[in-house]
Amino acid sequence: MVDPLFAQLSTLAASLALLFGLLLLWRRNLGSYVDAFQSQSVVISLLFCVVGYFGEDPQLYGVALLFVALKVWLMPRYLRKMQQRFAVEREREPYLNVPSSLILAGVAVILAYALMRPVVALSNLPTRGGLPLALGLIFVGLLVILTRKKAFTQVIGFLILENGITVLALLGTYGIPLIVELGVFLDALMGFLVMQIFIYQLHGTFESIDVDQLNQLRH
Amino acid sequence: MTFLFLLLPPLIAALLAGLVRPTRAWVARANALLSLIPLGAALVFAAQAVAGQPAATFGPGELLRADSLSALLLLCVTGVAVLALFLGPNLGPDSHYDAEQLRRYQIFVNLFIGAMLLAVSANNVGVMWVAIEATTLSSALIIPLSLNKASVEASWKYILIGSTGIALAFAGTVLAYFDFVSLVGPIANALNWPVLLGNAHALHPEVIRLAFIFLLVGYGTKAGLAPMHTWLPDAHAEAPAPLSALMSGVLLAVAIYAVLRWKAVVDALLGPAFTNNLLIGLGLLSMVIAAFSLVIQRNYKRMLAYSSIEHTGLICLGLGLGPAGIFAALLLLICHSAAKSMLFLLAGGILQRYQSTSIASVSGLLKAMPWTGGLFATALLALLGLPPFGMFVAELALLKAGFAQDAPWLMAAVLLLLSVAFVSLVRHLNQLLYGPVPAGVAVGESFSWRSALFCLNLGGLTVLGLTLPAPLMILLNQIVGIVTK
Amino acid sequence: MSILLDFAQGVLALALAPGLVGLVRWFKARLQNRRGAAPWQPYFELIKLFGKDGVVSNNASWLFRAAPYVVFGSTLAVAFLIPTIFAPQALGGVGDLLAVVYLLLLGTFCLALAGLDPGTAFGGMGASREMTIAAIAEPTLALAIFGLALEAGSTNLGQIVAQTLGNPALAVTPGHLMAFAALFIVTLAETGRLPVDNPATHLELTMVHEAMILEYSGRYLALIEWAAGLKLLIFFALLSNLFVPWGLAVVLTPVSLLVGVAVFIVKLAFLAGVVALLETRVAKLRLFRVPELLSLSFVLALLSVISSFVLR
Repeated sequence: MVDPLFAQLSTLAASLALLFGLLLLWRRNLGSYVDAFQSQSVVISLLFCVVGYFGEDPQLYGVALLFVALKVWLMPRYLRKMQQRFAVEREREPYLNVPSSLILAGVAVILAYALMRPVVALSNLPTRGGLPLALGLIFVGLLVILTRKKAFTQVIGFLILENGITVLALLGTYGIPLIVELGVFLDALMGFLVMQIFIYQLHGTFESIDVDQLNQLRH
Repeated sequence: MTFLFLLLPPLIAALLAGLVRPTRAWVARANALLSLIPLGAALVFAAQAVAGQPAATFGPGELLRADSLSALLLLCVTGVAVLALFLGPNLGPDSHYDAEQLRRYQIFVNLFIGAMLLAVSANNVGVMWVAIEATTLSSALIIPLSLNKASVEASWKYILIGSTGIALAFAGTVLAYFDFVSLVGPIANALNWPVLLGNAHALHPEVIRLAFIFLLVGYGTKAGLAPMHTWLPDAHAEAPAPLSALMSGVLLAVAIYAVLRWKAVVDALLGPAFTNNLLIGLGLLSMVIAAFSLVIQRNYKRMLAYSSIEHTGLICLGLGLGPAGIFAALLLLICHSAAKSMLFLLAGGILQRYQSTSIASVSGLLKAMPWTGGLFATALLALLGLPPFGMFVAELALLKAGFAQDAPWLMAAVLLLLSVAFVSLVRHLNQLLYGPVPAGVAVGESFSWRSALFCLNLGGLTVLGLTLPAPLMILLNQIVGIVTK
Repeated sequence: MSILLDFAQGVLALALAPGLVGLVRWFKARLQNRRGAAPWQPYFELIKLFGKDGVVSNNASWLFRAAPYVVFGSTLAVAFLIPTIFAPQALGGVGDLLAVVYLLLLGTFCLALAGLDPGTAFGGMGASREMTIAAIAEPTLALAIFGLALEAGSTNLGQIVAQTLGNPALAVTPGHLMAFAALFIVTLAETGRLPVDNPATHLELTMVHEAMILEYSGRYLALIEWAAGLKLLIFFALLSNLFVPWGLAVVLTPVSLLVGVAVFIVKLAFLAGVVALLETRVAKLRLFRVPELLSLSFVLALLSVISSFVLR
């Protein structure tokens, strides 16, 4: 039976992606964040292949390859280089402490399930079970951006937000039109490079990548 | 064909600036001249629309399309781009930026303008999204043109909040695409706006409601709607003057354009009530936050930025007041683009002379720089809605629309907030204009071609205020027709 | 007949418990390149302790003397209720998931009170630390098994086991896997293993469970140590039999019962090896970091409940 296997695999992959996202709220050192992001990207590229195989869309294999090149190889490489520069920095005291952020993330996933109920009810794709998990991943990414102090963590939070949207598009519609997909990849790459430049500038100007230091501009 | 004249010149200008190393003065002049070509193309599109011709399309799968709404926004973008590229006082020979910074500025400001033009002329909402994200990236790179703590902080907030907002807008796009595909199947042109609009009545309400909330939050972040506005005062204040003019004048307009396109689709399915309520709510919140922040401002560039937030709120409020409200909102959009861009460019000149952005250190503007001071004062009064300028007519139209929609208390609140902003801005203006000139500031200014261009701009605003030219009237009515079909 | 078998199952668990503790210690010793005591050393320790007098502080009250019996009794009661060799049917009407959780909590609570009772500094410190850990671990335990219960449609542990036996594909759903991870972390927390608590230390900086029982001696200590071993066995039994129930006797024939005993011992030994390996590899977490680990397990349990709830 092909359908249940497809559904199970896609839900399993989406859950793994969400769990790797939760790692960002749990761990404190920057290296583990890069590992979590890389593992999550590996899982998502496997998900691309699964959907491409069961959904009979060979284009998705190409997209998976592009995804691997960009998010499993290129971005983690730059991120690790950056992280070695700022190896001393860890998330010592985030704006929201770890247990509270984890519990808030759990609540956010419940909210995602509630919000996506009409969407899941509408869809007749076998991958619809993973849709709330994708929205949950988006919320977790937002939570990381809002509650973490280091600019580096905020960038990785943004990257997993994008991953969440990718999973949403993948599970909901088996991917988006190719030209938009290419544009999105280009934007993701450019955005990442720009953020990288800014973190180096931040470090150069403020002697730290702690966002708490950004209090020059008030009112 | 005209599309090539629209989109290629900024790319060529960016390429030119990139290739010439170190940058020379003639590159800046060439860029300025190149910016006239898109203006011509925009005028052509507007004329075609007014004449009643069907929307021009171009590219495989009708990638680019210019209907009346696009034509209006194209006019705004290219107009302000011309102003910014011709009149950037900080980028003349006496500016304090070095050659490398100037070169970086030339490359990215042209890419920025090109991205905005693409966003407004794209037919595919996915490509529109890509272009708006590109505007975030290209403008973010030149906000910290001179690296200091304030500009780095501003640019970091801008890129993080802007990109997050845009990502959420993409999530909304995906949800809408999902609904469309589950209905019609993955056809090639599924994300084309006319196709979406045509099939909107058959989509599913709950999904589209969720999608619109994501889209409003996402594009609203770029437009400066509260509560996602926190990046705006910092970014617009720390950017170099011409970039602030472009960002405040037209980037906010482009974001509102995106919201309006999606509003048309959602309203075709759910009726206008849902989006109207959301837009009025967020618009009012933005106006409240902006009006009360204006009271305590100490930096004249941040003051102008908060005024932008207030006007974004006002425009969104107008969009939620039915067809007459949309008409008024579009008029407000045009007048705001014209006036705000001028104000930021003049503010750049003031910064260059006084070497400070705090209101307390600037005084005696009328004595030290009579032309700049006079033009600044006039433009600010035009922005505040004084007759005989266009903003007065636009605000009056908004109030009329509000009363027609049976919302007298809302209009009373709007009037109250507008007067709070008025009083604060005029108070700050008085501090700037009068009083003794501080020591160390040169006195005197001669009338130059720059001031002449600004006078021309003000003249345009006056014309809008005294009489609404017939072509513009036709264009605006067409747009209202498209959006409320 | 089946009541007798249930009873025998509980007695077997009681008999195996000290051996399990010894086995974990033996594995750890071997992994650390020591010879270590034999795995049946704890039996000799218990015999020794039962023969000695219990010394009780002057400041202790009746609670101090009663607590070991309460702890031992409640833990033994749980041993009767959980599936070790087969899913208990006769006692199924008496005990289910909630009974198990509450009985375990009763034991923890009494032990904490007993730690406070003599009025020593170590006891109070151990009790407060234990309560911090238990506050998050107990709900997680309930939630983790509740996710499974939702799928089975009942909180009866026998029913849960039957559900997984009847539908093998369920064992690898994300809900089950997350519940397993959550329950594993809770096991480490509740039984006082690294990285939450070091069972081999008596340093003030690192004690939790040992601090509470520091004042005990003689037969009281014997009961408490036995109860601790029994608790470890109970958690291992829950981990292995709720999630990997193959090997449990489904019909009550002598052959299947013997197979059940053998499989159970194998599962216990495997989990003992895993825990020993983990204890050797991982350093103890600083106390303020323990809630972080436990809240992660709580969220995992929550997610498994949500996914079971939605997919039901």
